Amino acid sequence: MSSLAAFWQYTRFILVRERIVGLIWIVALAGSAILFAAMYPGLFSSDAEMQAMAQTMNTPAMVALMGPVYGLDTLNTAIIMAQECLIWFAIAIIIMNIFFVNRYTRADEELGRLEMFRALPVGRLTGVAATMIGALVLNLVIALITVCGLIALNLPGTTVAGAFAYGLAIGAIGFFFAALTLLIAQLLSSSRGVLGVSFALFGLFYVIRAWGDMQNSDLSYASPLGLISRVFAFYENNFWLLAILLGATLVITAVAFVVYVKRDLGEGVIPARPGRKHASRFLQSPFGLAWRLTRNTVFAWAVAAFVMGAVYGSVVGQLDSFLNQNEMIKQIVEGFGENKSLLGSYIAMLFSILAAVGAIPVVNAAMRIYAEEKRGRIEQVYAAAVPRLSLFASFMVIALVQSLIFLTLTVLGIYAAGESTGQLVLADLFKDAFVYLPALFLTLGVAVLLIGLAPRLSLLVWVVPVYSFLYDYFGRLFNLPDWVRNTSPFGVVPQLSLEDFTVVPLVVLTAVGIVFCAVGLAAYRRRDLR
Amino acid sequence: MPVIEIKQLVKKFGKLTALNGVDLTLDQGEVHAYLGPNGAGKTTTIRVLLGILRATSGSVSIFDRDAWKNSVELHKRLAFVPGEVNLWGNLTGGEVIDLMLALRKTGTSHTERREMFLERFELDPTMKCRAYSKGNRQKVALVAALASDAELYILDEPTSGLDPLMEKVFQDTILDLKKEGKSVLLSSHILSEVEALADKISIIKEGKIIQTGTRAEISQVAAGRTLEELFLSEYQGR
Ligand SMILES: Nc1ncnc2c1ncn2[C@@H]1O[C@H](COP(=O)(O)OP(=O)(O)OP(=O)(O)O)[C@@H](O)[C@H]1O
Ligand SMILES: [Mg+2]
Repeated sequence: MSSLAAFWQYTRFILVRERIVGLIWIVALAGSAILFAAMYPGLFSSDAEMQAMAQTMNTPAMVALMGPVYGLDTLNTAIIMAQECLIWFAIAIIIMNIFFVNRYTRADEELGRLEMFRALPVGRLTGVAATMIGALVLNLVIALITVCGLIALNLPGTTVAGAFAYGLAIGAIGFFFAALTLLIAQLLSSSRGVLGVSFALFGLFYVIRAWGDMQNSDLSYASPLGLISRVFAFYENNFWLLAILLGATLVITAVAFVVYVKRDLGEGVIPARPGRKHASRFLQSPFGLAWRLTRNTVFAWAVAAFVMGAVYGSVVGQLDSFLNQNEMIKQIVEGFGENKSLLGSYIAMLFSILAAVGAIPVVNAAMRIYAEEKRGRIEQVYAAAVPRLSLFASFMVIALVQSLIFLTLTVLGIYAAGESTGQLVLADLFKDAFVYLPALFLTLGVAVLLIGLAPRLSLLVWVVPVYSFLYDYFGRLFNLPDWVRNTSPFGVVPQLSLEDFTVVPLVVLTAVGIVFCAVGLAAYRRRDLR
Repeated sequence: MPVIEIKQLVKKFGKLTALNGVDLTLDQGEVHAYLGPNGAGKTTTIRVLLGILRATSGSVSIFDRDAWKNSVELHKRLAFVPGEVNLWGNLTGGEVIDLMLALRKTGTSHTERREMFLERFELDPTMKCRAYSKGNRQKVALVAALASDAELYILDEPTSGLDPLMEKVFQDTILDLKKEGKSVLLSSHILSEVEALADKISIIKEGKIIQTGTRAEISQVAAGRTLEELFLSEYQGR
């Protein structure tokens, strides 16, 4: 077998192995790129609405999130669509590429598959080269389907060049991250490390772009994400930026090939860093263990809370135009306070929804103790001199910390993004948010109760926030009577931006929460562990 | 005063009776092998001993105190290797060992013993637990238990996955412990290990102890057969 024939055979082998997952990615990505675009013509009934939307996008928080707004002078549906959608598909295709390349390089090597393959009479580069060809095929197929779809859709403002600029930007950023992951896979010796560093670089590039875009500085050009967000599809169609990106991709690929050929199989260029030989003082306690197991989630949720707050807060300045764009959201917001101030209603809706979202990290932290039990790791802890309550209480403390962090950071996010409007008062926002603390505590109580009494049913705890969330959506939309609101622990909380403070519901929520926690803990102490 | 005393222990899981009146006594300074076919109830007995499971009926005491009510206090005096070792993937072996030693709260320093056993078992403590092979995961649990200066060691199939060299290191360690007057409850399927270490042997089958005695007594029962032949016939219920 000639090495070229072997190369094509291996490429085919990759594509065959990838047929299910790859096909799902292609359909999901290209399909939703087209589907999203198809929804745009229905969004605006006039040019004025379109301009209003563009203004909403032009706030610092939105620009940081999605990239610079462009083409305001010749604004049309295609431009708006490209500006709002590009970053999301870029993110999705980057994730696909990082996983894809890692799977066929470092992960395969770790599992010893590559060794088996290299024992065959094939050229040394075959494996990595075939992986890159596979990535090229995936990205190109997604890009071209998107291009064709957009041309066929023919949104107002569509040009063939614009469609290519948009589609190829998505494909190019994907291929760039394929090359980057390939290089990292040569440097590190564990596939987890490769994923970790690839995603960290992705995050770094995202932040560089966000920062540069917000300051309107050239810093954005230092990030591949900045490059594609300045292609300005359907407006300037800067293909030269894509050429630069492709050039960088090829250089990185070449470097990765060279490193691959020079190194030993199974090794990385950077030797695996030995971990800690000893546990830190802090880790050597039940709380230290609980914290170590949850700290990454705590940090991730802190960031997520701030971003969510900022996204919602950035709309404060253009509430009128924002709500007029969407009849349904308008109805929901107005359902919160008829004949009250629009801003007050909006903030009431915001915290009602955010509080329910905040239940996710709270419940997760509490449920971690049961997850540990199911994975059989709790037995050894209790076989040491650890009282059952002390480990459970540690996770409960983390759950409470999660609730405080979540509420604080959403408030800060909202304020940071909406502060420039002069309509927000930080102290008021804190009050609006923290009245929900007892509701979150009650949710924690339900989780503790279930874990103690009926651990197999503990997933039922999600009913509490989901019910509240559904009520926020449908209850307001259909104007359900007030007593329905009072059936949800989140619903009974006074919405301070519209209503007066009443202490009774908060006391009741807290008291019931305490009872649930006490009963749950008592039951947990007495029951069999798995 | 026996170190472990189990009387008429019954443990039910719903309708299933896992332990059906187990009696077991372990005296000070004795290595007591606990044998039986898969699913006989060895791990269940140990988990009741440790207060992970609650006895349905019967009495279970360690150092003359109720094993359920005083579990935290009692655990300071014993060390344990679980039958199925599950570690936290993102902690290193060294971190897990330190953590388990610290959670036992004996207040004594284990540094010397820890280093000694790491060396004896040839274990690299700087690797993340997810990266260890099965045998090395087992060693993490073993070092964590053996490095602590306990009075009683409860070991549930402690050598599963160890290579013969490490099996030898383990046996030597247990013999050392015996010399120091420590007590060991050793659940095992490895008959050579039992022959080399055990002073006493109890065999459990379907939740009931069917044979118990010193090694000499068991040899008498064997009546000329090897221990292996005896166990095989006991396991099969002939
Ligand atoms: N949590 C549980 N729920 C229901 N049944 C259980 C539970 N734990 C153990 N059992 C059952 O109890 C019986 C005894 O199991 P146990 O794990 O004690 O056996 P063992 O003697 O340790 O076996 P092995 O040699 O395979 O480790 C088995 O039938 C098992 O299925
Ligand atoms: Mg067992």
